[in-house]
Amino acid sequence: MKGTAVPASMAAIVVDDVSKWYRGWPLLRRRRTAARSGTVALEGVSFTVHEGETVGLLGPNGAGKTTLLKIIATLLHVSAGRVLIHGCDVRDDPLRARRLIGLVTSDERSFYWRLTGRQNLAFFAALYRLPARSLTERVAELLDVTGLTGAADRSFHTYSSGMKQRLAIARGFLADPRIVLYDEPTRSLDPLNAATIRDWIAASRTRSPHTTHLIATNQLHEAEALCSRAVIINRGSVIACGTFDEIRERWRGRDYVVHRVTYRGPIVDGRWEGAPRSGLIEIHEERRDAHTRTLRVSAIDGSDALSLMLAAVLNGGGTVLRCETEQVPFDEVFCGLVDRAAAASVTNREAECSLSR
Amino acid sequence: MMLAWAFFRRDAIIAYSYRVSFVAQLLGNLLVLGLFYYVGRAIGSAPLPAFAPYGGSFVAFLLIGIALTDCVGVSLVSFAAQIREAQTTGTLEATVMSPVRLPLILIYSSLWNYFMCGVRFVLYLVIGSRLYGIDMSRGNFGSALLIFLLTVLCFMGVGILWAGIVMLVKRGESVMTAGASLVLLVSGVLFPVDLLPHWLRTIGDLVPLTHALEGMRLALLKGASAADLADTLMALGSFAIVLLTLGIGSFEGAVSIAKHTGSLTQY
Repeated sequence: MKGTAVPASMAAIVVDDVSKWYRGWPLLRRRRTAARSGTVALEGVSFTVHEGETVGLLGPNGAGKTTLLKIIATLLHVSAGRVLIHGCDVRDDPLRARRLIGLVTSDERSFYWRLTGRQNLAFFAALYRLPARSLTERVAELLDVTGLTGAADRSFHTYSSGMKQRLAIARGFLADPRIVLYDEPTRSLDPLNAATIRDWIAASRTRSPHTTHLIATNQLHEAEALCSRAVIINRGSVIACGTFDEIRERWRGRDYVVHRVTYRGPIVDGRWEGAPRSGLIEIHEERRDAHTRTLRVSAIDGSDALSLMLAAVLNGGGTVLRCETEQVPFDEVFCGLVDRAAAASVTNREAECSLSR
Repeated sequence: MMLAWAFFRRDAIIAYSYRVSFVAQLLGNLLVLGLFYYVGRAIGSAPLPAFAPYGGSFVAFLLIGIALTDCVGVSLVSFAAQIREAQTTGTLEATVMSPVRLPLILIYSSLWNYFMCGVRFVLYLVIGSRLYGIDMSRGNFGSALLIFLLTVLCFMGVGILWAGIVMLVKRGESVMTAGASLVLLVSGVLFPVDLLPHWLRTIGDLVPLTHALEGMRLALLKGASAADLADTLMALGSFAIVLLTLGIGSFEGAVSIAKHTGSLTQY
């Protein structure tokens, strides 16, 4: 992805070799490389989001997702590299970039608690220079779409968390932006409200198919449900980028699936004849009660592992009660990628330490 | 204009929502008048030589000093206070995200404070002149308004500069208090600057408030016209241009530093 030449007209967001580090005050700077010292928040991040795409920005806590989002939103300066928003460099022309961007944060403090929902939206709409008549209509429309019309004239501080988050989404869409950035839009919401927010985001993609969405989240199921692609960041670097299937395949080198088999009968543990060459990757017990067991079987897609496993159950006198097959949960792929990247980072640091001695 | 109105309306609604504080603040300002009423009675109504250039009345001298200094205080404090409040309440990020330059956001955010400052200024003069029997019938209110506006512009620049410093250092109330005390000492707020030693008068000449107070007193108490106050108006105009340019430039520099260090929304 680094240095990829993408026509500006095709790309909504171009992140080109972006790095961000925080240096201490010169007197306190520790001696490291001449290029950077202090904390490295992002290093050599590059990816492109095309117009109309919904891309997930994933990573564990502290990976650099929010930092990257703030750079795109012109709230932070890059230390190196550049970000283009529909061809506009966010550093050179931040005002023009901001006209194209809406930001949805999960920080409920970002509203005026003494104003009503309607007054809050009207104020922020005025910042985007919406004409008076269309401002009122736009505010009313967004309140209606987010289901807040009934509470529009109540003070913000009376809103529940879900209502506050819906108002945050409404604010993000006030100026009908070409790009919407989401910073963990369902953080700290209960499952019902989180589902409502996800449904709204999904519906907004249908309403405005040319709007580009970049969603920073560590809710992997949410990312899979909403996004067509993912960029996974860990410790400031991109460790994977592509569709979810591509990332799965790259992680393991081939397709593999997870079977869940619930059965009643003698224990089957994978040590059956032919198991080593069957395509079985791993097997472990997921649940057990007085009469039944559920095994989670990871195997190469299309291999004999499932057939042999079921045969082992039946030949042992057991009864198969349920069998479900699914792709590898993205949580597992994500954790594997992060662990692998962390291990590589430790190895690199050890190598650096040994070289420096 | 719509944008300015949006900020004004926002702050008016918020101020009014804290009704007790709103009323108490107004009452407090009016009680200050009562305080100086009795100070004036203690001093007596006979003209004092030190205040002869201004008609001889200590209370009239003091009233105008207090009224104008209140506006200076608003300028010095409110910009930094707006930044700090936006940082602590979490609204700064959402506001900075908009396609409006931050210095403009800062200026518009001060409109309500300046409006209330103007209201207090008028109240001080109207009520105070009635209470103390000060004759302002000869006052040149056009000149007074010009001086008021130029004073606001001068200290707006200082306030914006200070807001940039507060954005980086986060807290600076003690420094501003020290600065305000120096201004009170050398500008002639409570007593004529002629009473000061020469070196303090020199420092006072570098403070816009010194010129503003002189001009305002002459305009309201002696009816001085804009032509009579040409030197004062030129001095204030020059201060305003330099301080606003310096203030806005420094503030934008501070914002850039904050965006580099990631401290824009920290407090």
